[in-house]
Amino acid sequence: MASNKKEFFLVRWFKRLVVGRKEVVDIMHEEQLQTPFKTMLKKFLKKKTVIFALTMFLLIFAMVLIGPKYWVLDLSEQDSTLINLPPGYNMMSIPDSMKGKVSDIAAGGTYGLGIDTDGHIHTWGTTRITEKIDLADIPEEVRQAKIVKLAAGSDHAVALAEDGQLYVWGNTRLQQGNFTSEMKKDQKDGWNITQLEASTQFSAVVTDEGNLYMWGNKNQSDINVNKKYQGKIAKVALTANHYVALLNDGSVVYAGSKAKGNPLSSQPKEMKGKTIVDIASTSSAVAALTDDGQVFVWGNTVRGEEKIPEFTSPVKNIYGGRYHFTAVLEDNSVVSWGNNKYKQTDVPSALANGEKEIVGMYVGNHQNYALTGDGEVITWGLKGFLLGTDDLGRDMLTRIVNGGAVTMTVGAISVVIATIIGVLLGGLAGYFGGKVDILIMRIAEIVGGLPFIPFAMILSAVIGSRLDSNQKMYLIMVVLGVLSWTGTCRLVRAQILAQREMEYVTAAKAMGIKEVTIVFRHILPNVMALLLVDMTLSFATCMLTESTLSYLGFGIPLPQPTWGNLLDGANNSVVIQQYWWRWVFPAAIFGMCTICINMIGDGLRDAVDPKSNER
Amino acid sequence: MGKYILKRCVYIVVVFLIVSFMMYMLYNLIPSDPARAELEPLRKDLKPDEYLMRYEALRAEMGLDDPLIIRYLRWMGLWTDTDGKTFNGLLQGNFGYSNFYKTDVVSTIISPMSNTIFINIFSTIAALGITIPLGIFCAVHKNGKFDQSTQVVTMLGYSIPIYIIALVFMFLFCVVWRIFPVMGMKTAGATYAPGSWEEFTDMLYHIALPVIVMTFGSLGGMTRYVRSAMIEALSMDYIRTARAKGLREKVVIYSHAWRNALLPIITSILGWFLGIFGGSVVIENTFSLSGMGKLYWIGLNNNDFELVLAIQMFYSIVSLVGALLIDISYGLVDPRVRVDK
Repeated sequence: MASNKKEFFLVRWFKRLVVGRKEVVDIMHEEQLQTPFKTMLKKFLKKKTVIFALTMFLLIFAMVLIGPKYWVLDLSEQDSTLINLPPGYNMMSIPDSMKGKVSDIAAGGTYGLGIDTDGHIHTWGTTRITEKIDLADIPEEVRQAKIVKLAAGSDHAVALAEDGQLYVWGNTRLQQGNFTSEMKKDQKDGWNITQLEASTQFSAVVTDEGNLYMWGNKNQSDINVNKKYQGKIAKVALTANHYVALLNDGSVVYAGSKAKGNPLSSQPKEMKGKTIVDIASTSSAVAALTDDGQVFVWGNTVRGEEKIPEFTSPVKNIYGGRYHFTAVLEDNSVVSWGNNKYKQTDVPSALANGEKEIVGMYVGNHQNYALTGDGEVITWGLKGFLLGTDDLGRDMLTRIVNGGAVTMTVGAISVVIATIIGVLLGGLAGYFGGKVDILIMRIAEIVGGLPFIPFAMILSAVIGSRLDSNQKMYLIMVVLGVLSWTGTCRLVRAQILAQREMEYVTAAKAMGIKEVTIVFRHILPNVMALLLVDMTLSFATCMLTESTLSYLGFGIPLPQPTWGNLLDGANNSVVIQQYWWRWVFPAAIFGMCTICINMIGDGLRDAVDPKSNER
Repeated sequence: MGKYILKRCVYIVVVFLIVSFMMYMLYNLIPSDPARAELEPLRKDLKPDEYLMRYEALRAEMGLDDPLIIRYLRWMGLWTDTDGKTFNGLLQGNFGYSNFYKTDVVSTIISPMSNTIFINIFSTIAALGITIPLGIFCAVHKNGKFDQSTQVVTMLGYSIPIYIIALVFMFLFCVVWRIFPVMGMKTAGATYAPGSWEEFTDMLYHIALPVIVMTFGSLGGMTRYVRSAMIEALSMDYIRTARAKGLREKVVIYSHAWRNALLPIITSILGWFLGIFGGSVVIENTFSLSGMGKLYWIGLNNNDFELVLAIQMFYSIVSLVGALLIDISYGLVDPRVRVDK
């Protein structure tokens, strides 16, 4: 038929799947051939809006059903370096103006800093630390100077100019920019800095005379330097709050003042007596490379940093991110190990096979940058988050997908509970009438009359006070089911009152069929279509109620996400304005889902009840 | 009619007793021991057997060892207090003692209750004032452009949870346009003479956004209901008769159709009215308004169950009396309905 061609092919395919191939028949003939069910389906699928809603809902449903397998939820997940990140995949996208002339890169928590061969600084990624502080606002004096070295801390950046001048910008409220007096003295005498490092609110420089200077926030971090090591230090490796130093004699020491009992000072026994040539650190562990190419890892290694892989050739250099290490071997191949949550250790195959010559390797937080001989920068690791992160550094996408699974499950099961109760009581009331009817309808009146949300809140609070997250989920299902059956009950009762007078019931009675059987086997199937409409609409209502309860803190508790409690805490102007992705995405997908369900329900009602079509 | 109302009142009392007993039982499921809580500060100063004696005495004084039904009746004010003479319960106006606010429940409830009623009256008037004309217009101009777009908007209104609507409105009105304050009941730090005009306008300014959100949230369901009831009424034969008689369209719509459509609408207003009380829990929490919903939330979060119980009783009474009012107004609106048969 001509009109068929105009339809979207998916719609046509869907129709053909459920209704069957359309054949050209005259209207009378067609009417006779169709079962009532088919007529309903055809009517249902005739509206474009309904088809759209159905497709959208199925897409969301599929995402929620399959999604949790790909975006696995980790309830204890937390990362202080990834808090409140906006959506985007720009954390490792080096600006075009810098491509081909990279001289140094520093990878910070969520951003990158780079110097080109002209000594100019470039920034990329999420450089905004707070509302006021943005690392992309490079001070004018730094722009003017010719920068040779860079370091990126958690919320501050350090740059070293050609003339030995140090610049700090970003968050400087916790003394990140206050140089010590010894440093200033040494600088006056003319120093030659060999290493520049920055970590959580503190920074370090090593000079060619073997002196180590550290400055920044002393309250959290051990940044004192033991006098006896001064003048012998070749390199430092900074963890989140501590550091270790490599001495000129090839030994590694914990040079700070809190060496006792620190996991960083208990080095592996096998390492004793060996000469160390390179050290690297993650946020809580240290790796050391010996002159015979062996790698040792010690410290607090809870995320797989200690699982050192087999190396195909001697290791040349090692580098550390937040939870992973990367090593460059003599044959130019690159190996990463440690935590792989953000694919930090999935080295691109060209690098893993040693096909490219590596001139520079820059590792920080969850990012890796490899500078090859032809000036190209190859990156792997965390690019960013599609929907941003929340106030604990958790991926919003993972939480939305998993929260949807919880909300939909709770909604579906509570609808089933409510329908079972409603059909049973409504059937009994409708068929038997009299005292049973009065009693049941009075109960329904009371239950339906109570304000829903306060009542559900008190049930959840009183019964749920000693339950864990999972049990509370079941509790909410039961509470919602037990409180929302009254509508179904009334519908079934009214339908049965109407159907009871029909001829087929009289016929069934005449045949001597038991009354209960008549209600549930003969009348109920005739009510089924309307019941389906009712279930669809109350599915949306139950999801809404669950999310409202969770939003108020009386539903499913955090950290288990649901579409309701994702929005918990979003009602202040800071979150609404600055961290918009934390409420816009959950709200949008949830709103979309309930709108679609309601549209499907309305469409179904129009198809089932021809009278409502005229309205 | 008088007899009917009397009958309904008896029914209300019975239902209220049942509901309150259920709530009281629920409340007693919580493991708590007020006697122990009261003696806890003295525990260190007392010898163990002395402590035990005092504890037992206090339990007896509080009547904690009596059967549940007696404690319930005592709380209700239908059983003599532990001294055996006086009645001291809900019926005597003793709503209990709030552990969290350290005062009588009555004095904690008064100001939030007036706030809630104040807000709800505003949003009720606004919502009815918008939905009824809108519903009638949509029904009369059925399937027109305006009707169809209203259908879409109202669909949004009842599909999206009220707190999401609140967030979106907050974003628009407080962040983008900066018309209204984000939360609170009055300007921080401002002092006005009690009962003055400035105090009143300041409060109006602060509750404007919550009222807008509540109104918007309740638009959806009501408009659809009014519309479908009106369409039903307009499709009746007597409308055709009225038109055939040559009556003006205004008379047909407002006098013939509307009065018949009112009946189902009144029923739905009840459910909606209760919904406002329930919904105000969300609204008051989102906007930090000190109303009944917020108080209820605070009470539940701080295990202040005497306060919670009192508010729950308030909700129950509102719903029961609301049902009665609806039934009576049925008879008033439609003379054909004889409620007192």
